[in-house]
Amino acid sequence: MRINFWYISSFLISFFVIIPILTVFSSFFENTSNYYQVLKDTFLLEYVLNSLILLLSVLILTFLIGTGSAYLVSFFEFPFSNFFKWALILSFAVPPYIYAYSLTAFFENYGTAYTILKNLFGEANYNQSIPKFDGLFGVILSISFSLYAYVYILARASFLYQPQNLIDLGKNLGFTKLKTLYSIILPAARPAIVAGLSLVAMETLAEFGAVDFFSINTLTTGIYNSWIAFDDLAFANQLSFFLLLFIFALFILENLSRKKARYHMDSRGGFKQKRKIKLSGGKSFMAFMFCFLIFFLSFLFPLSQMMYWTIKFPENLFDLQIMTLLTNTLYLVVLSSLVLIIFALISNYGNRVTKNKTLNILSTLSISGYAIPGVILAVAFITFIAWFDESVIKTYGFLSIKKVFIGSILGLVIVYFIRFYSLAFNGIKSGYEKINISVDESSYLLGYSKRKTFMNIHIPFLRNSLLFVFILISLEIIRELPITLILRPFNFETFATTAYISASEDLLEAAAVPSLFLILIATSFIIVTSKYILRDKNE
Amino acid sequence: MRKISILTLITSLFVSSFVVANEVNVFNARHYKADGELYSKFTNMTGIKVNLINGKSGALEKRIISEGADSSADLYITADAGRCGSMDAKGTLQGGLTSAAIKSAVPKNFRTSKWVGIAKRARIIYYSPERVTGAELSGMTYEGLADPKWKGRLVIRKSSNIYNKSLVASLIKNNGKAATVAWAEGVVANMARTPTGNDRAQIMAVAAGEADIAVANTYYLALMLSGKKGPEQQAAAKKVKAFFPNQNDRGTHMNVSCAALVKGAPNKANAIKLVEFLLTPESQEHFTNNTFEFPMIDGVSPSPLVVNNLGLDFKQDMKTKLASYGKNQAAAVEVMTAAGWK
Repeated sequence: MRINFWYISSFLISFFVIIPILTVFSSFFENTSNYYQVLKDTFLLEYVLNSLILLLSVLILTFLIGTGSAYLVSFFEFPFSNFFKWALILSFAVPPYIYAYSLTAFFENYGTAYTILKNLFGEANYNQSIPKFDGLFGVILSISFSLYAYVYILARASFLYQPQNLIDLGKNLGFTKLKTLYSIILPAARPAIVAGLSLVAMETLAEFGAVDFFSINTLTTGIYNSWIAFDDLAFANQLSFFLLLFIFALFILENLSRKKARYHMDSRGGFKQKRKIKLSGGKSFMAFMFCFLIFFLSFLFPLSQMMYWTIKFPENLFDLQIMTLLTNTLYLVVLSSLVLIIFALISNYGNRVTKNKTLNILSTLSISGYAIPGVILAVAFITFIAWFDESVIKTYGFLSIKKVFIGSILGLVIVYFIRFYSLAFNGIKSGYEKINISVDESSYLLGYSKRKTFMNIHIPFLRNSLLFVFILISLEIIRELPITLILRPFNFETFATTAYISASEDLLEAAAVPSLFLILIATSFIIVTSKYILRDKNE
Repeated sequence: MRKISILTLITSLFVSSFVVANEVNVFNARHYKADGELYSKFTNMTGIKVNLINGKSGALEKRIISEGADSSADLYITADAGRCGSMDAKGTLQGGLTSAAIKSAVPKNFRTSKWVGIAKRARIIYYSPERVTGAELSGMTYEGLADPKWKGRLVIRKSSNIYNKSLVASLIKNNGKAATVAWAEGVVANMARTPTGNDRAQIMAVAAGEADIAVANTYYLALMLSGKKGPEQQAAAKKVKAFFPNQNDRGTHMNVSCAALVKGAPNKANAIKLVEFLLTPESQEHFTNNTFEFPMIDGVSPSPLVVNNLGLDFKQDMKTKLASYGKNQAAAVEVMTAAGWK
């Protein structure tokens, strides 16, 4: 084992990310219970059940929506199929909490649906006949319509790389389209679909905004509440044990599927552009309707509800300091993605050149931050800094460091870093896997130093991966709520925090304007870079 | 070179937080536009800058507690006496809100030396005049919500809501825990639906015919009547009437938005000045006209919308100390959960 700059820096980065994750779990083994056991048992069952129902329902819905639409746009030609190909990822721009606001706004008593009916058919009490999408059902819809794009993107990418001869094989065997789908296409795409679903699962378990808005108790909000409202670490402990079990299972699943995915993806030698089947008549209409419905429900519906409110209550538009919010949002996005990308690059390169087992395990662990809900990470960070300050810094007579880390941009970026490091690390890793190691060897033979190889050869090769990672992180940070909410400095708001705060004060109309801007910014990010997300052309 | 510039960048990010200034730091869980306008006015008058960190009360409280003695927080402003009370119980507040201006403005049961009420609200009953008769309502109390005659006719929000916690805490204070357990079971049996939505949603449920009576705070109806929520809700609000319970005994359950002085506040004097400013007649009038709360001080009238539609002439509960809301909060949660109140 050679110890050098690359080894040390990758080691330090991974180690740094792991510390708070360890703090989260170690703090759960303290005992400070002062809360009633009977109640806890009641709650515990409710939290576990809610989380399970939520998780399973969202997985089923996102699987059906994501895989279904990916199948249609990958294998068939129908009106607007090329438009839907990228339009279906726009749902990424609508975070679950904004979807929840839209659902409530539209379906509540005397809401938008009522107004529409009243304008169409005149005054009457329509409230009783308008369905109510709130509670657990509301949360399920909000998360599913926002997150199915994970499944869509990965399933579609996998469909795209499926060799045409495999599908021809099905045809030769006399399979129907449905049989080809079940027996050939889906099994071959399984690793990609599982990878997408496990991302959805992690996001669902970590979801805070929508769950909090409908005040549904899940494991995550349960941990947060027992920790924050009752200072009851023992109960938080129990809850997080269950959450940990969930996440652990997902994590293993995701890693397994990733390994398989690589195996499947490699059969790219015989790649040829797939021939899409042209649909006509009723089938073409059905395919169009399916995609349109999803596009409408996931994107047009929340967008138009927010627009409608912005127009209906225009005073909220003028009350908002849009330029400041925009600058703050973009500032966080650019700063955090830069930091994340630079450090993930260094760490990846360190892994590549040292080929060290310890380092490899450490970096695998360090990406588990993504599995920990942001709200818990943020509170753990504050707890850790407070402890470190009291028991280390002050013991040696230094000035308190709390203000440096709590309520500062620095602290915010650090926690974003821990949470989203896996996105950056894995994104760049998959890019690196495409650069053959012999490229490095040739470079050394030509007398290039490690640094020069990194700067002059790897970086240009990785350009597309880097861009992709940048977009992913940006979208996450634009939508991010709990970490920003808990750790941001004085007088510092983003579109997400402004929307959330208005909504939590029963000022949903006022939440519409920041929500609308959030959707528009995220949408423009997606549109500008959609070709990198969809990766149509073989890189 | 690159490393140095990154280091400089990172350093520059937090330097600003060390600059000493004439300011007051408010951890704010009330997010009305009207509050922001008042803070700007305060800055213009005194030159003291008001720094805000907006958030939900739970997270703000956790941050104040974790930051401990080094916390930058001067004032914690939130919308329920139960929250100020529980912060006090955790030892995170300090005395000092005892100036003559504060004492003369705020009645005794609405303040302690560590926190004071800045605006009042009552938690009352709303009913449908079409479906609820005067006889049914006559002499109605909070205790009466458990009466079987309301079976399937009552809506109220979740037990996790702080307004409900404080209401139940006040019942525990007045009637004891055992009686309140039985009461909570009766309330749950009377519910027209599983609790969902905010206070305004409860009022709209009565307007829409989902229920006959609802429990909600006073300012919500005025807010709907004001038209700020659109013409549909304005019309809906007119289908509902307000009723003030317990007029024949202790009076209607009152609550406040409160400002609490945080222990170790770096700008204590400025914090007290801000509280005094919020209690001036001008500020109180600004509150009442925009948030539709009741004024904390005498001599200021509530918004005409409140006066005309809710009435002003009601007996407030001046006996139950608001400090008891925080003290009985854990018991209240226990009572509601045991009764199966979602």
